[in-house]
Amino acid sequence: MTDEPIQKARSPFIEAWEMFARNRSAVAGLIILVLISLGAVFGPALYPTDPFDMVWAPFSPPGDAGFIFGTDYLGRDLLAMIINGARVSLIIGLAAAVVSIVIGVTIGALAGFYRGIIEEILMRITEFFQVLPTLLFSMVIVALFGASLPMITLAIGIVSWTAVARITRAEFLRIRELEYVMASRASGTKNAKLMFRIILPNALPPIIVQSALMVGSAILFEAGLSFLGLTDPNVVSWGQIIGSNRQYILDASYTVTIPGLAIFVTVLAISLVGDGLNDALNPKLRSR
Amino acid sequence: MSDPLLKVQNLRIELTTRDDVVPVIDDLSFELAAQESISFVGESGCGKSMTALAIMGLLPEKIGRVASGSIIFDGEDLTQASEDRLREIRGNDISMIFQEPMTSLNPVYTVGEQIAEVLRAHQGLGQQAAWTMAEELLDAVRIPNAKRRVSDYPFQMSGGQRQRVMIAMALACKPKILIADEPTTALDVTVQAQIFDLLNDLRRQTGTSIIMITHDMGAVAEMSERMIVMYAGRGAEIGGVDEIIEKPLHPYTQGLIACVPHILATVSAERERLLEVPGIVPSLREFGKDQCLFASRCPVRTDICLQKRPPIETDPSGHSVACWHGKDAS
Amino acid sequence: MTQDSPQGAPLLQVENLGVRFAIKRGGLFGEKRYLYAVDDVSFSLKRGETLAIVGESGSGKTTTALAIARLVDAYTGRVRVAEQDVLGIEGEDLRQIRRKVQFIFQDPYSSLNPRQRAEDIVREPLQSLTETSSEDQQKIIDRLFASVGLRPEQKRLFPHQFSGGQRQRIGIARALATQPELIICDEPVSALDVAVQAQILNLLRDLQAEFGLTYLFISHDLGVVQHMCDSIAVMYMGRVVEYTDRRSLFNDPKHPYTTALLSAVPSIDKKRRAEMKRISIHGDPPDPLAPQKGCHFANRCPMATDTCQQSQPALTDKGNGHMVACHLVT
Repeated sequence: MTDEPIQKARSPFIEAWEMFARNRSAVAGLIILVLISLGAVFGPALYPTDPFDMVWAPFSPPGDAGFIFGTDYLGRDLLAMIINGARVSLIIGLAAAVVSIVIGVTIGALAGFYRGIIEEILMRITEFFQVLPTLLFSMVIVALFGASLPMITLAIGIVSWTAVARITRAEFLRIRELEYVMASRASGTKNAKLMFRIILPNALPPIIVQSALMVGSAILFEAGLSFLGLTDPNVVSWGQIIGSNRQYILDASYTVTIPGLAIFVTVLAISLVGDGLNDALNPKLRSR
Repeated sequence: MSDPLLKVQNLRIELTTRDDVVPVIDDLSFELAAQESISFVGESGCGKSMTALAIMGLLPEKIGRVASGSIIFDGEDLTQASEDRLREIRGNDISMIFQEPMTSLNPVYTVGEQIAEVLRAHQGLGQQAAWTMAEELLDAVRIPNAKRRVSDYPFQMSGGQRQRVMIAMALACKPKILIADEPTTALDVTVQAQIFDLLNDLRRQTGTSIIMITHDMGAVAEMSERMIVMYAGRGAEIGGVDEIIEKPLHPYTQGLIACVPHILATVSAERERLLEVPGIVPSLREFGKDQCLFASRCPVRTDICLQKRPPIETDPSGHSVACWHGKDAS
Repeated sequence: MTQDSPQGAPLLQVENLGVRFAIKRGGLFGEKRYLYAVDDVSFSLKRGETLAIVGESGSGKTTTALAIARLVDAYTGRVRVAEQDVLGIEGEDLRQIRRKVQFIFQDPYSSLNPRQRAEDIVREPLQSLTETSSEDQQKIIDRLFASVGLRPEQKRLFPHQFSGGQRQRIGIARALATQPELIICDEPVSALDVAVQAQILNLLRDLQAEFGLTYLFISHDLGVVQHMCDSIAVMYMGRVVEYTDRRSLFNDPKHPYTTALLSAVPSIDKKRRAEMKRISIHGDPPDPLAPQKGCHFANRCPMATDTCQQSQPALTDKGNGHMVACHLVT
């Protein structure tokens, strides 16, 4: 019998959370992100002004007549636009990240697990997507298939999955040689289960970190597309606000600065959270 | 006998952990004579490597420090020495080889460059002289074809050869003490035998004292005259190797010897059950308690073992043991 | 060695097993070369006994074990477990064989999935290989935990919450789950601390006595092998060089490599040290990608002759079933 002290059963998730909670800037990022998300979800109900309505004289500076952020060149309420834009920007960010993760993880997992000719083909495809100029390629997709929200999301996802695929493949290559995977094979575990139940959970930490960062870069990407006018005219997003007001940047700089700040703060918060996740999910840094 | 080369007295090293300050080395004393070889034995986590790092003045910065006691080397107390002085002593007078020869060499320089660098830094040799000396050293550690191999990169060498290069580097400045921290753990037995022979020959030729850290009693028997059995940061038993192997007094030493299946001169049909030392080394939190730290795993434990730390008792032959029941064993 | 006992055929029969790895140079269309990791290996193992495969790193001992367990593919040869072919089968037949042949891995730190709880690790083979109902699975797991010396309250813990020895116990419980007939132990104690090794070795022997297990025991540690096995195959560079029962091998080694290997093991036995003159073999094994024509050991062998350089010796019976592959042994 072993006379060693027995530890309490604790899940790795709780440990990761404790590690995360120790990182102050990550927690700050998480708080900001939660606030922004709450604003995006409940904001329109609490502040029901229609972002497309002309409510006051154009170019009213912030604070004028009770409009906290002022109005833009068409006299629309900038605060209402920011609140409604948050929804669109966050949804596009999340959805595009999901698209690229689904594509990237599938391709990376198949390449890393099966090796050989499958890996060769999949990695050549990945390289092909990697060398395409991403902005140009997504512009072509949007121009060809129309500037609807789903199409923009898809376009962003399609041009940004390569990093996920590479990370996933690298992790699979490493983990498939570990003894516990060998042990599962000796236990007769089938390939699908090996891939998704045994290897993938252990490969997740770097993928999660990459995904968090991808949400941020997708928001930036959408802003870039909107700035160039490739946007769904029926919705308002942060990038679109900047794009449509760009001619007036010298006269009414706040119309560009405020949505710019919104993007900056959100992406920064996401990066901080991603960084915190990186530390929390890295077993090497644990128990130090 | 004159003064020993190295004299460690009541050494206490404290390590700052997240919750506490713990003594990873607790009241350790020993002596090392010139040309002598001494071995530290014990499981991992018993403070063997920490002792070596303390002698080298390489305790982990900010976390570890010498709390009390002294390390007298050649009449000089190393615990009081300045960082510059320590740097001078390392490499020149005391050098060290490590367990993992794969990672302790820099992969982007040839082995010759790395040995020559040590010679230039510590002995002030010129470019050409250092290179020639590097060749001679490689030859001395019996790397065949040393003249050619001196311009090899580490990846072109096998594990055993890399460990030889490490030994060559450690011996470059003719140190008075060579510390070998599990030098053969990563190597095959036939290569281990080569390295042991090499170290023994070098000791005879150069008169270097060797401190070896190991968990293998067989290796101790082949390499050293005296041994120190460490347990949980404390010296459990100190004495002559043959004497301890023949008649170990501390139950931990008895366990360490009997728990390993040894190859004996004649292998007979019956195989005895191995003696088990149950449990594992206590965690750092237990270190420093006023009791025998081995008590939880000890077969002859009594109440006193849990109440008070056993004193170190030395018999006339210099065989010391820290155990309340050490005398019962004899 | 008695080849086929009158009671029936051996449990494990390996004949002329070969494993090679393709080494590709230069991308997709580079030329293919082969590394022959296991070359013409044959042995057999009776029910309830232990056969050890001994060798240094790169000898092919682990690859042999993996090929028998169908974890790497053999390109030639025959493996039979309980009269049933192992190499040519797929699907349901392979599942049946996997139930009979289980594996204990070397490194208890990497052989357990860090994201599975201890009981789920032990459950995995039951789920994948048997139709056991979940209540029965739970009963089996409870019994196994008791057999390997773990407490019931440890079932819900994750691997990192166990010590190395406890982790290896989980690995053993997993290997026992499907009541296999043959268990392949690949260096099961070499990653553990010395005192913990004894616990695991004793456990393995107890389990063998209790359940009538048959072990194929892979190790580089001759002391451990001497303690655990009934017969031994010594491997060098992919080939078996000597194969006989335990006492013949340790008391009367015939192959020069075996002799050198035995003499290289450091011993605490003074008598053995005095008797045994160390036969040092020089250098390292040759490049496995460019094997020589003759005996693979010829370049390091102290007695090699021209014949040894020219032709490869076959493994032949040199009396009483003592199999040796050497031209010089008669």
